[in-house]
Amino acid sequence: MRHWWVWVWLCLGATLFPPVHAAGPSTDKVLNPGAELWNEVRGRQAAPATTQVQGRDSQVLVNEWGEHFRDYRRQRFVRYSGYLLAGVVSLLLLYHLLHGGLEVTESGRKVLRFELTERIVHWLLAGVFLLLTVTGVVLAFGRFVVLPWSGPEVFAVIASASKEGHNLFGPLFIVALLWFFVLFVGRNLPRLVDIYWLIRAGGMLGGGHPAAGFFNGGEKIWFWILTIGGLAVSTSGVVLDFPALVEGRNPLVLALVVHGIAAVVLIAASFGHMYLGTLGVKGSLEGMKSGLVDEAWAHAHHVLWYEELNRKAQAESSAREQGQ
Amino acid sequence: MAVDMNVFRGFLQQVRQLPAMAQPTECPDTERVAAVKAVFKERIDAGVASHLEACVHCGICAEACHFFVQTGDPQFTPIHKLEPLRRFYRREKGPFAWLYRLIERDIEETDLEQWQRLVYDSCTECGRCSFACPQGVDIAHMVVIMRRALANAGLIPAGLRAVEQEQGSQGTVFGVGPKQLMAAVEALRVRGYEVPVDKDKADVLVLTATTDILLFHDAMESTVRIMNHLGVDWTIHTCAFEGANFGMLSGYEKVQKAASERIIREAIRCGAKVVIIPECGHAYPAMRWEGANEHGEPLPFEVMAISEFIGRQVMDGKLSLKPIGKGRRVTYHDPCKVGRHGGVFDEPRAVLDALGVERVELPDNREMNYCCGGGAGLFVIDTAERYRALAFDLKRKQVEATGAQSLITACDSCRLSFLAGTDRTQWDRPIESLVELVGQALPD
Amino acid sequence: MTVTEFVDGPLWYFALAVFFLGIAWRLVVILANGWRGDLSRPRRSGLTGSVRALFSRFAPAPGIGRRIGLHLTGGYLFHLGLFALLLFAAPHVAFYAERLSLPAWQPMPHWAFVLVSELAFIGLMLLWLNRVLNPVTRLISSTGDHLSSILTFLVMLSGCLALEQAHEPLRVLHFFLVEVLMIYFPFSSLMHAFTFVLSREALGYRYGRRGVPV
Ligand code: HEM
Ligand code: SF4
Ligand code: SF4
Repeated sequence: MRHWWVWVWLCLGATLFPPVHAAGPSTDKVLNPGAELWNEVRGRQAAPATTQVQGRDSQVLVNEWGEHFRDYRRQRFVRYSGYLLAGVVSLLLLYHLLHGGLEVTESGRKVLRFELTERIVHWLLAGVFLLLTVTGVVLAFGRFVVLPWSGPEVFAVIASASKEGHNLFGPLFIVALLWFFVLFVGRNLPRLVDIYWLIRAGGMLGGGHPAAGFFNGGEKIWFWILTIGGLAVSTSGVVLDFPALVEGRNPLVLALVVHGIAAVVLIAASFGHMYLGTLGVKGSLEGMKSGLVDEAWAHAHHVLWYEELNRKAQAESSAREQGQ
Repeated sequence: MAVDMNVFRGFLQQVRQLPAMAQPTECPDTERVAAVKAVFKERIDAGVASHLEACVHCGICAEACHFFVQTGDPQFTPIHKLEPLRRFYRREKGPFAWLYRLIERDIEETDLEQWQRLVYDSCTECGRCSFACPQGVDIAHMVVIMRRALANAGLIPAGLRAVEQEQGSQGTVFGVGPKQLMAAVEALRVRGYEVPVDKDKADVLVLTATTDILLFHDAMESTVRIMNHLGVDWTIHTCAFEGANFGMLSGYEKVQKAASERIIREAIRCGAKVVIIPECGHAYPAMRWEGANEHGEPLPFEVMAISEFIGRQVMDGKLSLKPIGKGRRVTYHDPCKVGRHGGVFDEPRAVLDALGVERVELPDNREMNYCCGGGAGLFVIDTAERYRALAFDLKRKQVEATGAQSLITACDSCRLSFLAGTDRTQWDRPIESLVELVGQALPD
Repeated sequence: MTVTEFVDGPLWYFALAVFFLGIAWRLVVILANGWRGDLSRPRRSGLTGSVRALFSRFAPAPGIGRRIGLHLTGGYLFHLGLFALLLFAAPHVAFYAERLSLPAWQPMPHWAFVLVSELAFIGLMLLWLNRVLNPVTRLISSTGDHLSSILTFLVMLSGCLALEQAHEPLRVLHFFLVEVLMIYFPFSSLMHAFTFVLSREALGYRYGRRGVPV
């Protein structure tokens, strides 16, 4: 078994997400008369079949994992991703209704938080991500969500468009992700204060804002989810776009599984990010739009960064005085 | 040889007093917009229309303007300085005027005040933006039109207006008239120089400038010595000596024309083949490029900046200089009006090389040189002082990056701006004038 | 008449007419302003200057390049990509042959098409993001500028979505957007594709006469 790891993945999926119709017809009592033949066809007990057709997997008559994959794809993946996304949205909604967004009284003085290039790359990544999300959701869930509404003719069109769009924007995501990573990784390396910040859940449990640097613990976790999840969707995506890169069918199945799970995790996390960036913490969005944030905002949410800024400004002005 | 800094500071004080001396203008508030539009209408030709049409609003021009580069304030985006002109064009002259009249706001009086600050206080018409624009939009050319329009509406800033009014009504600049000129000439004669004044016929008519008479005495002395050394048939004229043209700087065409006409008439009368412009930046384009257009027909004489004139003599081997600059590292600042607007780049460099200095180029040089910050009359606009300081800081950084020991230029405006900056920041590098250096290097 | 027939027939001819007549009209009105002559004595040939300027402005001015890396990257990726797609995408070549009766030329291979569209997309997105995020461009941009970018984006996007060439509605959508763009073109800043020649000529002539390398 060369691709045992595909099994590990699928089993992992199976334990996390138990099969939906677990109570199928029992097969252990009566022996199917055709069992022997089918076992052979599937290559379980016999040597692989031979054929003159030259090609990858051409000697496989029936893909023995097909059913498992179908079950995973149609039943578990779709269902539990739906639960996850709906759950995250409801949680955010609930939080917002109970707690409301954070707000600080503005000072009117602005400090530069994000350079132009940083903002552009952020929105490039975000834009491509959204396009991929929409087309990806159509591809993964369209059969269940869009098809019943649209009917098969329209769905065929939407699905074709989504497939082309998804393929097209995939590589752009990789470019944007790498660029983004290079620009931001320095400020996302874990520090001790982040752990403290996380233990206090960023102040969501009360007790005021715990101190944070340029990015707080939560933002850093999002950054790394994005990086690792992004790497996972990217590599698996490349495999899916260029199947010739791998041997046989199993890596493709693996790629599909990884691609789906990583994408759903990313989408779920991005919901949290989008909430916090807009309604959740007032004034954050401005930082990514104009690059400027209010000093009071900086002081409240990223006090260590704010102090560093002040130190730098002081050092600069005293240097200027000495220079003259 | 250096400028007497006390005299210079007195001069600065005098500049700050200018606004108080300005007379109110005739244009009533209600007629300003119409006055602006009249100029726009007259000045928009196919070239201007192409420029206005071709702009893609990419913002690259901002990256060329010293005022934006130093502040990051989008207000200083060059093309933004032309907004009223663009709006007029779209609504009243462009191919889809009928459409734009429906969707675009008209120019209002309050706009004019805002743009007065943008085209006078924070634009030196240096043209660096025109050279950066990928679409070839000549922004500086259109800033000139903006100034003409605002001038027609009586919206010249007070300081600049005071000088323009003085030149328009009395023909003097900073109180310098024939009497003051003759005093300066006498001072030179006392020191043994021969200074031909008001000759009936001469091959070369040499102009001078108020700043040389008041402040940069050595520049005038050098000019006299160079002319005599070369043995040319030259003269200064008491009724046509002032190169500065505050009509052009302020945008007030009547005064511009009168000031140019005086010189042109005199040059033609004395049969001059060449008119030499002193180290007064804007005086050069005023005569070299605009003179004929104001006059209405081609000029029967050549117009040369003094740096250009000397440079040619050196390049033609007619003037050899003593290598007085051996071992000194200097850098040359191309005055916008002589370089980028005039094409005089090689001549001053040839002069410097003849002086034997180690000549290093600024990081941005020749047609991409950064402006001194004081051109186009900014030096006499009190409210522009803050902006001039910004431009100086940029220049200072660039000069220091070259390691040059001194900064050489060939324009009084640049010199004034640099001196003001030097004085303000106690900078240790001297600001020198090309013509003065040549004066020192003339063979005995 | 079905939507498809309308888009393929009358709307197409209407768009063609507006496109060409609009462009011609706009250029004629610009030129009809006439030239204010220049009586000054030229230092060098203005003509040489204008020829130079036409080409020299494709490269950033000395010392400016390092300040406009984003414009350069975005601008070149987008424009080169756009022209490559316009001229060499296989469906386009087929279209020109069929609808405009041009002789067919060699189109680019599929992989090149995909690569070029990726680059063009990145370019356009960078340009537009710069437009909205850079304080300078935010100040000077008009609604029309944004419309130009968005419309161009939609045209490119719809074209790529129709790439499977299996679904008529996607082709019609792309074609419809192209027609909208063509109708919009002569009225908008997209005209810069033509006016840049006039503008560079005027600048090149002015400074060429003065002997300044434009
Ligand atoms: C050879 C002719 C062309 C030249 C010289 C040219 C030049 C330019 C330049 C300099 C920019 C500004 C880029 C920046 O922001 O830095 C620009 C933007 C743009 N161009 Fe062109 N262009 C040409 C043809 C076209 C054509 C045929 C189209 C057709 C749709 C087009 C569409 C655009 C769009 C949509 C933008 C705006 C992008 C944005 O900033 O949002 N261009 N062009
Ligand atoms: S650089 Fe040229 S095209 Fe770009 S905004 Fe400025 S004037 Fe317009
Ligand atoms: S002419 Fe010079 S000062 Fe004026 S906008 Fe252009 S670059 Fe700025």
